[in-house]
Amino acid sequence: MKAGLRALAVITAVAWLAAPIARAADPVREAASGGIKVEFNSTGVGPREIEDTTELAIPRDYAAAWNALETALSQNRADILDSGFVGVARERLAQRVADQKKTGLHVRYVDHGHQVRAVFYSPEGSAMQLRDTVSYDLQVLDGNKVIHSQPVTETYIALMTVTEDRWKVRMLEAAP
Amino acid sequence: MRRLVQALLIAAVCLFAAYAARAAELSAPERVSAGTGATLHTRGSGEATLWIIGPASVEKKQVRLGEDVNLQPQSLRIAGRYLAIVRQGAATDSAWFEVLPAAPANVNFLARPSRVPVDRRDVISGVAFVLDAYRNLVLEATPVRFSLSVPDAPAVTRIESSKLGIAWVRLDSTRKQGAAQFIASAGDAEVRRVVQETASDPCNLRMRATSAGNHIVVETDPVRDCSGNPVPDGTIVTFTQVDAKGRSTVDARVKKGIARAVLPSSDNATISVASGVVLGNEIHLGGGQ
Repeated sequence: MKAGLRALAVITAVAWLAAPIARAADPVREAASGGIKVEFNSTGVGPREIEDTTELAIPRDYAAAWNALETALSQNRADILDSGFVGVARERLAQRVADQKKTGLHVRYVDHGHQVRAVFYSPEGSAMQLRDTVSYDLQVLDGNKVIHSQPVTETYIALMTVTEDRWKVRMLEAAP
Repeated sequence: MRRLVQALLIAAVCLFAAYAARAAELSAPERVSAGTGATLHTRGSGEATLWIIGPASVEKKQVRLGEDVNLQPQSLRIAGRYLAIVRQGAATDSAWFEVLPAAPANVNFLARPSRVPVDRRDVISGVAFVLDAYRNLVLEATPVRFSLSVPDAPAVTRIESSKLGIAWVRLDSTRKQGAAQFIASAGDAEVRRVVQETASDPCNLRMRATSAGNHIVVETDPVRDCSGNPVPDGTIVTFTQVDAKGRSTVDARVKKGIARAVLPSSDNATISVASGVVLGNEIHLGGGQ
């Protein structure tokens, strides 16, 4: 009995001591913004090795960008896009918002999370490409009337670039 | 008789339900290429409302069910998934279709750095983003040709296959200085950047000294890097004289390839020359040497 208790105590102590080490080695980071959850895995990304600060910033800023996207398309407000998008991605989403306004349409997302993998980090450290598998419930509304509703899972290829104060999405394209 | 009427009524209800269920039906091609247009097929009869929701657009139009709907090429330029919804009264049908990027037609090219010393390993990087005519990232693997050349020297060429629209390369700087043309091309698209390759640190720094009355004139041979490129004018060369009176140091700039300085005369002095971390020869004056 005594030996059994001792063994249990040793196992507990080892597990307690090993936990932080295991956490440190875990390649998956999680971030959330406005209810958007992003699981970020940078294992094997190259050619540049990812820095610790970048590894924290990317999932945080990508989650914030999706939060901006979903809010902008739900409220038909293009100005919200500025916090997460630049360049082509911002132009395209702004055009989508303008068209939604014109046709009286808006969409609602219930985001169930993003599995994001870093696939390319440029040698000079200014651009990172991500592959994101996202699942969400989509509702399309004409005025206040729901005209379409369905769960969606799709994969996006995103290109994030460094801006003055954060990473922003420069390209966002659904992958076939 | 009563049963027959009931059966007929049930059959009529079923037929009506089946008709109502297909009151507005829609089918779309699975995928089309960007900028090529597409045709949606509808079934049913009467007027209906059709929405086409794309990554960067929303179109709303009235259609007649049973007729094909042609989507114009300019409506389908942006790659991504499109949702088509047709609605007639309470009946709705929808179809997804994909617009795939068209053939490579543009390259965005990031070349770093803009200025680099010659003959260094892996110091020049190029990243090419392969785009179609509508600025969609071409996700299919595409060969991208990178070429780096300076005048009067052979070009270094590498062909890399793009992955998810991106190809990259890391190259050594050439042994010859000059304005290197760094070119990335995919299909017919070609983008050119200039990387200024400059002479590296001085190499085999040598000087000579001549006595001129009450001072000593020191002058280097033409200052070159290890590949034989003359270092740029303005490069600092430091002459140091140590004698019984102490140490005198003069920083001189390379002018027309040569650095020159005037030092105080001395009966017994050691003069050395250096540039950055590179040391040159030493000269001993007087003292029988």
